[in-house]
Amino acid sequence: MPLTYPIAEQTLDNGLRAVVSSDRAVPIVAVNLWYDVGSRHEPPGLTGFAHLFEHLMFQGSRNVASGQHFSLLETAGASLNASTFFDRTNYFESLPSGGLDLALWLEADRMGYLLDAVNQENLDNQRDVVKEEKRQSYDNRPYGDSYERLVKLAFPEDHPYAHMTIGSMADLDAASVEDVHAFFRKYYGPNNAVLTIVGDVSVEDAFDAAKRYFGHLPAIPQPPAAPDGTIGPMTDVQRDDVVSDVPSDLITMMFRLPVDGTPELDAAGLALDVLAAGQSGRLNRRLVRDEQIAQSVSGGALPLIGGVSFGTLTGIASDGIDLQKVEDALLEEIEKLAEDGVTEDELATVQAQAERDWLEQLASCAGRADEISHHALLFGDADRINTRIDQVRAVTVEQVQAAAAEWIRAGGRVQVSYLRADTAAETAAETLGEQA
Amino acid sequence: MNQVLTTPPAVGAPRPWKFPEATTTTTSTGTPVHVYDRPGQYVATVRVTIAIPLIAEPRDLEGVATIMSRTLDEGTELHSANEFAAALERHGAAYGVDVSSDALHVEISVPVSHLAPAVQLLAEAVTRPAFNQADVGRHVTIRLGEINQERANAAYRAREAFAAHLFDPSTRRSRPTAGTPDTIRPLTNTQVADFYRGNIGPERAEILFAGDATGVDVAGIIDEAFSGWTSTAGTALETPEPLYLPGNRVVLVDRPGSVQSQLVIGCAGPDRRDPAWGSAAVANHVVGGTITSRVDTVLREEKGYTYGTRTSFAAPRKGGTFSLGGAVRTEVTGAAIGDALRILREARDGLTEQEVQEAKDSLIRTAPLRYEQADSVAQQVGSNIANGVPIDFADTYLTQIAATTAAEATDAYRRYVGANGLLVVVVGEAKDVRPQLAELDLGDLVDLS
Repeated sequence: MPLTYPIAEQTLDNGLRAVVSSDRAVPIVAVNLWYDVGSRHEPPGLTGFAHLFEHLMFQGSRNVASGQHFSLLETAGASLNASTFFDRTNYFESLPSGGLDLALWLEADRMGYLLDAVNQENLDNQRDVVKEEKRQSYDNRPYGDSYERLVKLAFPEDHPYAHMTIGSMADLDAASVEDVHAFFRKYYGPNNAVLTIVGDVSVEDAFDAAKRYFGHLPAIPQPPAAPDGTIGPMTDVQRDDVVSDVPSDLITMMFRLPVDGTPELDAAGLALDVLAAGQSGRLNRRLVRDEQIAQSVSGGALPLIGGVSFGTLTGIASDGIDLQKVEDALLEEIEKLAEDGVTEDELATVQAQAERDWLEQLASCAGRADEISHHALLFGDADRINTRIDQVRAVTVEQVQAAAAEWIRAGGRVQVSYLRADTAAETAAETLGEQA
Repeated sequence: MNQVLTTPPAVGAPRPWKFPEATTTTTSTGTPVHVYDRPGQYVATVRVTIAIPLIAEPRDLEGVATIMSRTLDEGTELHSANEFAAALERHGAAYGVDVSSDALHVEISVPVSHLAPAVQLLAEAVTRPAFNQADVGRHVTIRLGEINQERANAAYRAREAFAAHLFDPSTRRSRPTAGTPDTIRPLTNTQVADFYRGNIGPERAEILFAGDATGVDVAGIIDEAFSGWTSTAGTALETPEPLYLPGNRVVLVDRPGSVQSQLVIGCAGPDRRDPAWGSAAVANHVVGGTITSRVDTVLREEKGYTYGTRTSFAAPRKGGTFSLGGAVRTEVTGAAIGDALRILREARDGLTEQEVQEAKDSLIRTAPLRYEQADSVAQQVGSNIANGVPIDFADTYLTQIAATTAAEATDAYRRYVGANGLLVVVVGEAKDVRPQLAELDLGDLVDLS
């Protein structure tokens, strides 16, 4: 059953793609901008720049004082934030519909005139804040560097997905105000973004407002495309074994997967779900419930647009259980799925779960606006939000097995293992004992 | 450039908003059912909220409520654990439990098209659990592993130490809700089943539905699923008033290898029985509730010490807390605590009219966003029931906020923050942090490893 959220689209003269989905049942409106710049666009030496802008964009612009972006929107009743990912950066706010003009004005001022406010002082300050973000989110928590380690192994050096969005602190330290200005001029302009407006506004009024605030901004020269990241499945095994002060031994495996927007990626994602999703997934049943060798298991696909995606499977060993047992069981289940496929019932279960997730994602104006921007920017098709469930429902057990057999294999993976210092010592002693 | 575009456009007046209204009925076994019809919300939440004050747990078996809640769906009289999960997930449902200091919440979220069979399974977990020793034992082991994870988590450690030193040891909330290794290890299915029989029953429960109810007899589906529920549990004990430990103190928890210090700074606070609950929220918003608040303007935006801190007044049924939480760079821990304490204490001198008006506007105008989704309506109503306030308490709260003056916001804040001292908890590299703390006048120091 396709969904029927209304979609109206216009491209402004300066190239800004505007999408409107009117919903008069709620007294609020969501504004969401996706810029076609993420960490995959960052050349060597400039890693972390897309994310740095996620901070600088709140420091004021030509007509907006430092701190005023937040204070004006908060007083209008907004919830607001921004996020950076491999493929894109987004900026968004939801607020009572009387604040739509304010939200658009603020977004337009920073799209057009951010650099008036980017100087050495706020660059230094926000660089410090980003370093604290990295310490908090990566360095000061157990296993916090696992994805950094995994993408480095899963992709060749300088591949667009070989570094994380937070970037290298050395690159950020080396950045001058001129470097930062140049990066902004290259990627931030109306013709490199999608603006979505969802909620309590008519289609006509929404487009008028979009033109009123964004119409005068000049287009920027066509930004350079991100490097092509097309690459096939892994063909070998690469490991990173870490001895660290972690609470429990943990293993995460990563696989390359097909590019987003293909039935193959949907099928590969569903294959990982059959293994790792929910309480009824194969890994939870076997490793956690039946054999009790793992405290928990998790995993899933991370869809990406730049030629390849990736997916992960994680197991945390039960206390006193050798992590090797967890690794062996994961590999057995991976191979079993590739060789024997999945049942109709298993597939229907993970499809039903995917449908609930999707409906929940669209249940708020903010969530709907984000997905509209996403599908308009990365696939050129905002209406895809209405057909996504049918695409996922159309995947067959044969497609799931084929995708798993090609992409999710014991012999084509990278993995990071974290061993506690004491268990690592035991393992070493056992190995020595065997040799003796 | 067009003059219009150099100044912020005016903001139109928001449409009036009220918390959604429920249609309330009662099941044949006497449990109230509140149905919130939210058109367009295709995924519904069904939540069973059962009053269980944690003082009902025996002291030496603390955490039994948590283990009981986690094993409700691990095998029932009708299905094994694996069968139950497969059946529920086949309907596209997700199942979850939460134990707070006053109540157990058991809930599903499910596409409305699969409501009836999913509610049947929810009722089965709540009313007919099997509590096999194999499943209980497994959850005891999992909880012990989880405690290891918690001990490695700086933010968790800081919250745990804050509770342990803010509350008198006779108060249940001084110890973790989900128990400690010595109280979890002895648990068997016998004790879990005993606790269930003594505490779970239809007269302690309320059931909520939030979602698109168009063409669906929600109350009928819930009544049928829960029709056979019998119990000898009777009504719940009343949660006692907590006892707080006053005074300026600092607790330093050593976490070797830390690159940041995790901070919690706080004291006692109001609960929802206090008519100044709304005014306290306004004051909090000004002092530390947002990125533009007094604390983060200095700690994050001026000094770059932190990715961000937040303050909050929080409260279960009885007795609240005020706290500031966040992580700061190790080398500036002393300076950051000094700045934070100065800002928290200076706020006692008065909040400005403008600050208070902006906070009120923000808190009132964000309400429709907060309750846009079915699940957030169910969360709010479930916690209202647990907290012993009317199900439409969100409206009372907004009315209190709208009526708050700058003097009242200041007064609500002064009654708590800094009135009986402030407890400072630091989780980090103790050898680097201790000398920095010595330069501050923080009261007695407690060292923990």
